Amino acid sequence: MKKNLQKVMSLLCVSALSLSMLAGCGGGNNGGTTTTETPAATEEASTEAPAAEEKTEDTAEETTEETTEETTEETTEETTEEAAEETTEEASADGESTPRNETLYEAGQQWGTINDWNPMSANSNNGLALSANDVARELVYETLFMFNPLDGELYPLLGTEYSWNDDNTELTVKLNADAKWSDGTAFTAEDVAYTYDTHVKYQSSQGSDFSTYVDAVEAVDDATVLIKAKVEGGKAINPLKVTSMLNTMYMMQKAYLQTVEERNGEDADKVKQDTMEDMAHTGPYAPYISNDQKAVLQRDDNYWGQADSMWGKLPVPKYIAHTIYKDNAAGQVALSQGEVDVCQQFITDVQNLWLEDQLPISTWLDEAPYGQCEAIPSMFFNVEREGLDQKEVRRAIAMAVDYEQIIASAMSGQSPTFDEYPRSIVGPTAGERKYVDFDAIADLQWENADVDGANKLLDDAGIVDGDGDGIREYNGKNLSFKAECPSGWSDWNASMEIVAAAGEKIGIDIQTYFPEASSFYDDMTTCNFDICMWSAPGAGVMNPYSKGMFYFSEEYAKLASNWSGNFGHYMNDDAEAILEAIPTETDEAKLKEYYTELSRILLEECPAVALMYRPQLFYAVNESVWTNFPAADDGRNIPPTDCTDGYGIAALYELELVE
Amino acid sequence: MKNTIKQVFHSGKFLFGFVIFMFILLTVLIYPIFVTADPLQMIGQGNFFKPGTYVSVEESALEKTYTLQIPKQFSKLEMVLDVDTRASIQDFLIKQAGVAESEIDVTDAEGLVALWKANYDPNTKYKGLTTAKRKALRRLDGQITAAMKDSGVIIAEKDEEGTLQQSKVIKDTDYINIKDVTTKTFLLGTDNFGRDVLTELVAATKSSLKIGLLAGLIATAIGLLLGLIAGYMGGLADNIIIFITNLFTVIPSFVILILISYSVGDKARGIAMVGIIIGITSWPWTTRSVRSQVISLRNRDHVNLSKLSGHSMFRIIFTDILPYIASYVVMAMILQISSGILAEAQLSMIGLGPATTKTATLGLMMQWAMQYSAHLNGSWWAYFPVVILIALISFSLNLMNTGMDQVFNPQLRD
Repeated sequence: MKKNLQKVMSLLCVSALSLSMLAGCGGGNNGGTTTTETPAATEEASTEAPAAEEKTEDTAEETTEETTEETTEETTEETTEEAAEETTEEASADGESTPRNETLYEAGQQWGTINDWNPMSANSNNGLALSANDVARELVYETLFMFNPLDGELYPLLGTEYSWNDDNTELTVKLNADAKWSDGTAFTAEDVAYTYDTHVKYQSSQGSDFSTYVDAVEAVDDATVLIKAKVEGGKAINPLKVTSMLNTMYMMQKAYLQTVEERNGEDADKVKQDTMEDMAHTGPYAPYISNDQKAVLQRDDNYWGQADSMWGKLPVPKYIAHTIYKDNAAGQVALSQGEVDVCQQFITDVQNLWLEDQLPISTWLDEAPYGQCEAIPSMFFNVEREGLDQKEVRRAIAMAVDYEQIIASAMSGQSPTFDEYPRSIVGPTAGERKYVDFDAIADLQWENADVDGANKLLDDAGIVDGDGDGIREYNGKNLSFKAECPSGWSDWNASMEIVAAAGEKIGIDIQTYFPEASSFYDDMTTCNFDICMWSAPGAGVMNPYSKGMFYFSEEYAKLASNWSGNFGHYMNDDAEAILEAIPTETDEAKLKEYYTELSRILLEECPAVALMYRPQLFYAVNESVWTNFPAADDGRNIPPTDCTDGYGIAALYELELVE
Repeated sequence: MKNTIKQVFHSGKFLFGFVIFMFILLTVLIYPIFVTADPLQMIGQGNFFKPGTYVSVEESALEKTYTLQIPKQFSKLEMVLDVDTRASIQDFLIKQAGVAESEIDVTDAEGLVALWKANYDPNTKYKGLTTAKRKALRRLDGQITAAMKDSGVIIAEKDEEGTLQQSKVIKDTDYINIKDVTTKTFLLGTDNFGRDVLTELVAATKSSLKIGLLAGLIATAIGLLLGLIAGYMGGLADNIIIFITNLFTVIPSFVILILISYSVGDKARGIAMVGIIIGITSWPWTTRSVRSQVISLRNRDHVNLSKLSGHSMFRIIFTDILPYIASYVVMAMILQISSGILAEAQLSMIGLGPATTKTATLGLMMQWAMQYSAHLNGSWWAYFPVVILIALISFSLNLMNTGMDQVFNPQLRD
């Protein structure tokens, strides 16, 4: 009996041991994901997040992919590289170093081994090459036009000019005759049409998004594309959205796409998951090295853009490299040591790098807010939750928050204040602010941290603390809410803490909740939260319209998985009517009236509240190796988009080595 | 009993540890009596203000001034022009302005500034300068201009029409008495939220001690109870208990700790809850050692005598066994308290501690300092005192433990 018992016991112990090991590994994995998500602050405050964020799940795949990647890389190299260069290149690839004075190092864009190069992928973590938002990353793939957030204009790239027909239903785009694919074949209108059709056919996120507004993309001749908008009642549904296709959709080669379709049997999931490492692309850089240490792009010396119709020369750095850093801190150390040239990371007290440490580091502006602030990180209230369905409660929370504290401490002063740029539906750029009549909504603004006013508002609304526990009740229930944002996004975490502190002062219990990014996304996209934080889109051809949609769109609210805006499901018929009218309205005065009205509703009803302004991309450059980076006062009109995004890539052509 | 305590206090190690611990404990108790401010109040608007006394500038400007003829140790210009600055001015003059090197005398401040003023124009974009350098030179030009200005700063106020009216001139011989104006001293600066680090540190130590104490008590209570039962009763009870204990010993307790904290959610995670969670995950080794001690005790003569006298099991355990292991249990508890404090710090570091806006704990202070990269910015005050304090607490507790060990452990007794 006793012996038997011991046997059973030992068996149990062994199984417990193996179980605990499994649990231990699971825990370790958890820890790992925390660190990959840490660089929160660096996440672009834009809607591209869904793509960039899925990286968590990719960790498992990475190991297997590495091996395949390396082999494919070598084969592609061999075909493209000249034989003479081959040996030296190979040697340097093995040593995994590229000459420092030919390499531009970036930080804050790539946070793990690159998992694919597929612009249709739903879970790509490829921050180095793929960022198909308004200010698209133009290094490997290119869009038809480049957006410049400084002046809001589109600059020609693969396309040379575009024009709407008279009744705004058809958009004609002329293509650059010099444009070529990396395999030397010409870039034609067929490619544009096929790219769009493929997106729609396989229902990529861009495909399903644009197919609501675009009827068809047709090749008129080799160099002319006709984009037909969907028409309702003689008017295009949303011409703004159609135009935005020019600067957000990466062009892919028809022949190559057909190969991809064929090898995946035209299966939608497989096509979207194809890694596309052997892709044909038009951009100036091609994949070179990619592993868990770093990702490097190499210049394509046959790049079509050296034609006089485009840049007239090649971009200066031969390589663009991105070391995979563990977290923000590691990236910051590398920047201050000159190992990183361009850093897309939030840096606390960034001015100390040059004022105190005397490093050759600078930002876009020399003074606070140091960057070009366009996006508006905002908190959304879930209006379906009891208590938060009352506009007094929402407004009271909004009034009590100490925004100046958020800006000064959570954002380390890297945002203009709401005194300088009063709240509204638009961002702090002049191009957007002209659309709102701020005098008309001046009486709706609230003072910073107006705790008394908030308390009075709640008292007047009859929402009081009846049972004396320090927390007000609504319908007999304590007002108690969770304010959430992804764990490790330090500036957002700190902002939520300051919101929670404000709640305490007005008798509303607000707890912060920082789950892993993936579970936060689940909560946010399915409206399963009390208060959550997300950023209104920054600059783009559709602004400030896209900001209006972000705050109010009922269409977004009805999506099953809503990444776009109006996460709190706030429905307002007036706002909806205005949002429907804006895209086809061309009269500036009328538009101003519309946006002012939207701002009025936003301030009165508080479905969401702006917490700060923030740059779309953080930008700090170290001039130890390279110089002539864009700066606000250089008069070159090149935006501070890390030399990679939209028209910001123009900076790559003007970089110089420090002597 | 009295004798034992006396003996314990004769141990130098114990006494030293005890003094440190009492000092920390008393500070935690007394400091809040004098400083009643809310430790979580966000005072400073900005990250990591350095330690020192902050003086109201407005009051200083308006307050009655005293004229003090203190000979200036440096001229303002000399202060601006340190060696590096002179070198960079020289560099600029040669490379960008084309001044011959022979014309420049870096030791002559006035001459150098004159050359600078003649050759530097803040609005020109000089060739061959990095942006950072260009901006640095512009700042330097501002400093030089400020340093060359004659004494006197004008205070002006806006009148009804909005035009500026001069109301006061401040000369460089004007001083104010610091007692006349509002000041605020941050002995340890502020943290990333602008909270006073010292006040927060005291509050944090208090809650960390509470968590440690609670965790220690719970862990020791569970460990002691299970150890006594397992050791004394033996047989099936022993088998079951030791099986569970082994299970817990094998699974890293920190993993369980993380899992439990995560599933409890933020809502319930106050000081008490964190203490309880740590307590119920860290008892196994107390159980194991208590059990082995009890096993060696249970066959002693006096225990057998008690058994023969028909005493109940509880009486035997409490009167014949417990007193023999009491000293050991106290020592174990001290170690449990110390590891409880460390466990809280670890938990908070990964964001699973108590809520930031409700309580201050040492781990939370570390976490926020890390998140706002205080360690990279040289803001030592935000994390170093916390580290020191955690170290001091566990050091003092461990010292007390070793001291007691020397007294109680016959093998170590001299």
